[in-house]
Amino acid sequence: MFWLAQGLIYRSQKSPFHSLDPRIKLFFSIMLFSLSLLSGTILEFIVILSIILLIGLVSKVIKRMAKTIVFSASFLVLIFIIDILVGYSILFSVIVCLRFVSVVSSSSIFFLTTSPDELELVMKTFRLPYDLIFAFVTAVRFVPVIMLDALQILDSQKSRGLEIEKGNIMKRIRNYLPVLVPLIVQSIIRSEELAEAMESRAYGFSKKKTSYYSLHLRKRDYLASVLCLIFIIQFIILVYFLHI
Amino acid sequence: METLAPPIQFIDFSFSYLGSSAPILKNINLEINEGEFVLLVGPSGCGKSTLLRCVNGLIPHLYNGVYQGKVIVDGEIVSEKSVSELATKVGFVFQNPENQIFMFTVEKDIVFGLENIRVDREEISRRISWVLKTLNIEHLKDRAPYELSDGQKQRVAIAGTLVMNPKILILDEPTSLLDPRTAYDFILTLKRLNKELGITVIVVEHRIDLLTNVADRIVVMDNGKIMHDGPLRDIIKLKDLYLYGVSVPPIIALQNSLSESQIKLPNFCLNVKDFAKMVKEEVSSK
Amino acid sequence: MIEIDSLYFKYPMAKDNILKNINLKIGLGEAVAIMGSNGSGKTTLIKHFNGLLKPNEGSVKVFGKDTRDESVAFLSKRVGLVFQNSGHQIFSDTVWNELAFALKNFNLEEEVINKRVKWALEFFNLTQYKDTSPLLLSGGEKKRLCLASVLAWNPDYVILDEPTVGQDFLQKEKLREVIKMLITQNKSVIIVSHDVEFVWLLQPRSVLLSNGEVVKDDKCINVFKDKDSLERCEIINPQFVELQEELSTLISSPPIDVLESRAVLLNLFKEDT
Repeated sequence: MFWLAQGLIYRSQKSPFHSLDPRIKLFFSIMLFSLSLLSGTILEFIVILSIILLIGLVSKVIKRMAKTIVFSASFLVLIFIIDILVGYSILFSVIVCLRFVSVVSSSSIFFLTTSPDELELVMKTFRLPYDLIFAFVTAVRFVPVIMLDALQILDSQKSRGLEIEKGNIMKRIRNYLPVLVPLIVQSIIRSEELAEAMESRAYGFSKKKTSYYSLHLRKRDYLASVLCLIFIIQFIILVYFLHI
Repeated sequence: METLAPPIQFIDFSFSYLGSSAPILKNINLEINEGEFVLLVGPSGCGKSTLLRCVNGLIPHLYNGVYQGKVIVDGEIVSEKSVSELATKVGFVFQNPENQIFMFTVEKDIVFGLENIRVDREEISRRISWVLKTLNIEHLKDRAPYELSDGQKQRVAIAGTLVMNPKILILDEPTSLLDPRTAYDFILTLKRLNKELGITVIVVEHRIDLLTNVADRIVVMDNGKIMHDGPLRDIIKLKDLYLYGVSVPPIIALQNSLSESQIKLPNFCLNVKDFAKMVKEEVSSK
Repeated sequence: MIEIDSLYFKYPMAKDNILKNINLKIGLGEAVAIMGSNGSGKTTLIKHFNGLLKPNEGSVKVFGKDTRDESVAFLSKRVGLVFQNSGHQIFSDTVWNELAFALKNFNLEEEVINKRVKWALEFFNLTQYKDTSPLLLSGGEKKRLCLASVLAWNPDYVILDEPTVGQDFLQKEKLREVIKMLITQNKSVIIVSHDVEFVWLLQPRSVLLSNGEVVKDDKCINVFKDKDSLERCEIINPQFVELQEELSTLISSPPIDVLESRAVLLNLFKEDT
């Protein structure tokens, strides 16, 4: 679980890919994702995965992407075995696995290289409801805070003799109650306080808002888009010739 | 000559929370004048936090209940305006530094309110520069909330409200989670805003030792009613303040105690330095 | 007896030690105040007293047992820790159950549990709430409940992290009385506090921490004479200490409370008549 999450969490870094406009990064991801779904031969996947590998290297996130794939290896083996058992050929089963790897790594490229700030701006561009965007921002902002709360609660309860590890499965589940209840209560209190603060800063004053921050496409974004388009065209040509 | 109405008026005001049988505020009559720095004290449950929330509209808009009487802020009847509309008149700073900063960076958080009230971009830019400078937090502009100390967070919280240009600033126990030095700096910042920008300040605090040199007026509440209301200098001498949970600073408790003895001192001093100076002069004059 | 010997500690992912070369011995029947600026390591230090944290170097011994060899549950039976935030602790459906929680964890007999919970309810004026949900109590009452639930199991050491935050005058008075009572019962009370006026009235042994090191460990009166250490630890003066400094030619020793300072001043003025 932890390693799967590694493939999705943004960490601040500088690379040519990171510095692209997030909409362009999204475009890359969606493009690779869609092509992965539409591809059917080993050669196509080799091409797609090479591009993903290249982007991964350029953006220096290749290690974490690789970790996610390696740790979902058991899942891949399972897919492979089930396909064989159901009666598909070895080739087909391999292709299914390759598709899984492509799909996962093409999505993770976006999430690994896009900060929550950029995600917020992308969501604004797509005119998602502001309440949704704000909920997302608040969640990302407060997850570390809630995790810290959980640790402090655990310390408090351990100091009252709570032994989280002891006992049979039923006892262990009950042991989580003294940690979960305060955590949930604190979160509810937090959201009430947030609501007061938000209202006091005019949240909901009007449906329309000023956008102080906005995304701007720059030369490198246009260049990257052109490269992307060239790739798509060449890929389509390749596929066309493969299927003739 | 026409006298201006005081910016905050409570007229025969009572409020009970929904589901509660007893009113938390009973027949409050209170006027707060422009530019005053008011300290609001009282034991837990006396209604002081509720009173604050009636000024910016959180009551009745966010909290339902039985609302009687009138609250008028800057000429507007609070119950007829939304909290968002009042946000440009009244800024509210809460107790917990963490739960007032929503955005990923300090600058983004300060911009939050201005985007909501649809201020244009150039004006936002101007106001951000001004507020960062006024509160000495320019160097924190791009920091994330988790990188800030509690004292810094409280400053950012003020910045986020100050940037909306309110004439009134309300603070609900803003220093209770801060250490004494940081708390003292924070209060001095408030005094500066009060003196230099003429902002009316209402603070609810338990630690009045920080505010004896800073607040003009003190309002003491108990059980939903106002028990005392007047200049800090006068009210602080009252012997029954401790009944209202007020921690009278030692130097003031000392003077209260001395006033009952044969020694008659010329002044009542609000801080140690002034008191010591007075004692030296008295002793040397004998 | 809590014995801390050359303690060094840093959190797993951290670069630097947050506690450096701490040497401290706290016996029974002592009142101790631990003070210092934010980030000086106060909370980290007290977490070592019941084994929540274990030293990287050096040792922490509680009644002769090394904390590295024992569980937190075992050590907590004799070392009670009350944290600052009551919201991090309260979870039961009734006040009674909240008070009984730790006692049940320590496997005490039912009779004992009943007796101790009844005592805690009476002593802390919470009897009328015994069947109420603790979440419905006021902030001050919740803090009282947290203290009550630790005293319920009668630990030898009671450690309080910022017990005066958010408390009004009367609540602080009660707290001072409780601390005094515990000392007379030969228990030790260790408080981590910013509240210099509260500490001054208590006159405990005072330990100053700065940057993870013990800068001063002495009687309260001596500690507040050491201006350099106070400055280093960013601690402000209690008002009566400041008064004595301003009137150093007239007053030799800072008075502890209002009664004493009144007597001192009356004396000053009488001298000249």
